[in-house]
Amino acid sequence: MDNQTVNNVVDADAESEDISESFLCCICLDLLYKPIVLSCGHISCFWCVHKSMSIIYKSHCPICRHTYNHFPSICLMLHLLLSKINPIAYKRREKQILEEEKTMGSFSPQFDSHSCQPLLDHMGNSAQSFTIVNESTSEGGIHENNGTTIPVQSSGGTVAIMEKNSPKNKLNGNRKQIAVTDVLCSACKQLLIHPVALNCGHVYCETCIIKQTDEKIRCQICLCLNPKGCPKVCLELDRLLEEQFSKEYALRKDAIQPNKVQSNHESATTCSMEAGKLGFNASFLSTGEQLPMWADPRSKIYFGVGCDYCGMYPIIGDRYKCKDCMEAVGFDLCGDCYNTRSKLPGRFNQKHTQEHKLELVKPIVIHNVMRGLMTGQLEDGSSALILANDIFAPVSDDVQPQENTSNTDNIIEENESEPAS
Amino acid sequence: MATVNGYQGNTPVAAPVGTAASRQPVNAPKMVDSQSVLKRLQSELMALMMSGDCGISAFPEEDNIFLWKGTIQGIKDTVFEGTEYKLSLSFPNDYPFNPPTVKFETGCFHPNVDVCGNLCLDILKENWSSAYDVRTILLSIQSVLGEPNISSPLNSQAAQLWSNQEEYRKVVLKLYKPPSA
Repeated sequence: MDNQTVNNVVDADAESEDISESFLCCICLDLLYKPIVLSCGHISCFWCVHKSMSIIYKSHCPICRHTYNHFPSICLMLHLLLSKINPIAYKRREKQILEEEKTMGSFSPQFDSHSCQPLLDHMGNSAQSFTIVNESTSEGGIHENNGTTIPVQSSGGTVAIMEKNSPKNKLNGNRKQIAVTDVLCSACKQLLIHPVALNCGHVYCETCIIKQTDEKIRCQICLCLNPKGCPKVCLELDRLLEEQFSKEYALRKDAIQPNKVQSNHESATTCSMEAGKLGFNASFLSTGEQLPMWADPRSKIYFGVGCDYCGMYPIIGDRYKCKDCMEAVGFDLCGDCYNTRSKLPGRFNQKHTQEHKLELVKPIVIHNVMRGLMTGQLEDGSSALILANDIFAPVSDDVQPQENTSNTDNIIEENESEPAS
Repeated sequence: MATVNGYQGNTPVAAPVGTAASRQPVNAPKMVDSQSVLKRLQSELMALMMSGDCGISAFPEEDNIFLWKGTIQGIKDTVFEGTEYKLSLSFPNDYPFNPPTVKFETGCFHPNVDVCGNLCLDILKENWSSAYDVRTILLSIQSVLGEPNISSPLNSQAAQLWSNQEEYRKVVLKLYKPPSA
């Protein structure tokens, strides 16, 4: 052990802040940074989740082995919350991760520290509709994926809250200073109760999600479809809410009780059934179990490539790659996301703009990968191995996404990104 | 987005050789942010020293934090009661996204441990999760001692004898050489 590592630990201890055990990442064993809530309700850091995802097939939650295919977006509400609860430790993490990112050459999404708006200098398509949502709410902190250039002032509510709280931050570095306005449901605008986070990172009460359920769950803020059924309650966040706002929490709990009895039942069963099935599969998931999909000669999987919009990773189906993004990490969309108008900022802070051109990438058919493995030829010319009667003939470079005029219609049409397995 | 650092994720299945072709070429250099691995191992060591679990212990080698020596004691009321085994844990550069290599340094007569000390444990292979740590690994090994997986043995002789616990105990004691240090 060298001295530096010893010092690191000492530094961490020297922080006067008490980091709650529920906000320690199970992977890096440090305070969660840019937290992501998986569909099973477990939280981990942005990089910890990304690095622990399987590039080849389904990924598993490190804690409960719940399978998932989509790399969720950062939960901005939690991000903001943690930076208030543990301001010193969060700053330290920010610095440390930025250092690591510099060596890696890939960056996580960067947020304005005050408003938590993504720091991006290009307009998203649906900026207008988002601005409306923004103004009607006072929680500018949770609009992650819109990629708008809404100035800090437009989310004045948040700024005001921050300012109001900052003196207190300095006085007592504990979690007392978080306000109910920091933890509102994106739908009912009340204190979150039994919070669930969608794939897009927005947080709702479990009951609010169920109410709008028409088979598929759509985020009301960014209008994204949630790729898999109902996510599970994020218990760590729920516990924090119950501790911090015990009065309000109890009130809310009583208020939702009648609703819950009717609706929660079905959702609870569907959720647990799905989870049970998945858990069953996961526990016996051997290479043999994966065969059905692998064996399909037409299955197109792009190992280690994810969709920058819905987060599907690896991309199964069509893949469109940006020809103009220079970042090492690249910018890719899955077929479904490409066909909608959503040109959002990338998951890794890529400077992707609408002017960029995307092209369909020729897949490597699984059979060819297998054959390549056996013959060892793949490395020196994968294209030679593509079947002569390749059904995935390359598409001409000038494919452009349909640019429609009406905003909302299109976004609603946006496809669910279930893998085409 | 494409994979960063070439991590393979929770399930370290051998990546098809050709995958690079479908990825962005820039991914080729596999960088290691050893700083975060160091930090994680450091935190684990702290936690392990504080936890005071009985029957397991581990500590890094003097000059290399990527190499640990661990010990586990046989659980009471199993055939391994009263024995102690020394293990070596070697952590990869992308730990905890890939599991450490664990070997028995002390000879162990067990269905899932071969004569060289290699052991067969699913959580150290395909069922690895980045949330596991040294403590959970050692506890798992400790419990596997008493509950071996007979269906896929590395030591078939041990697997056959397992049904006869009395005889098994005798063999364990006969072959057992306590770790010197």
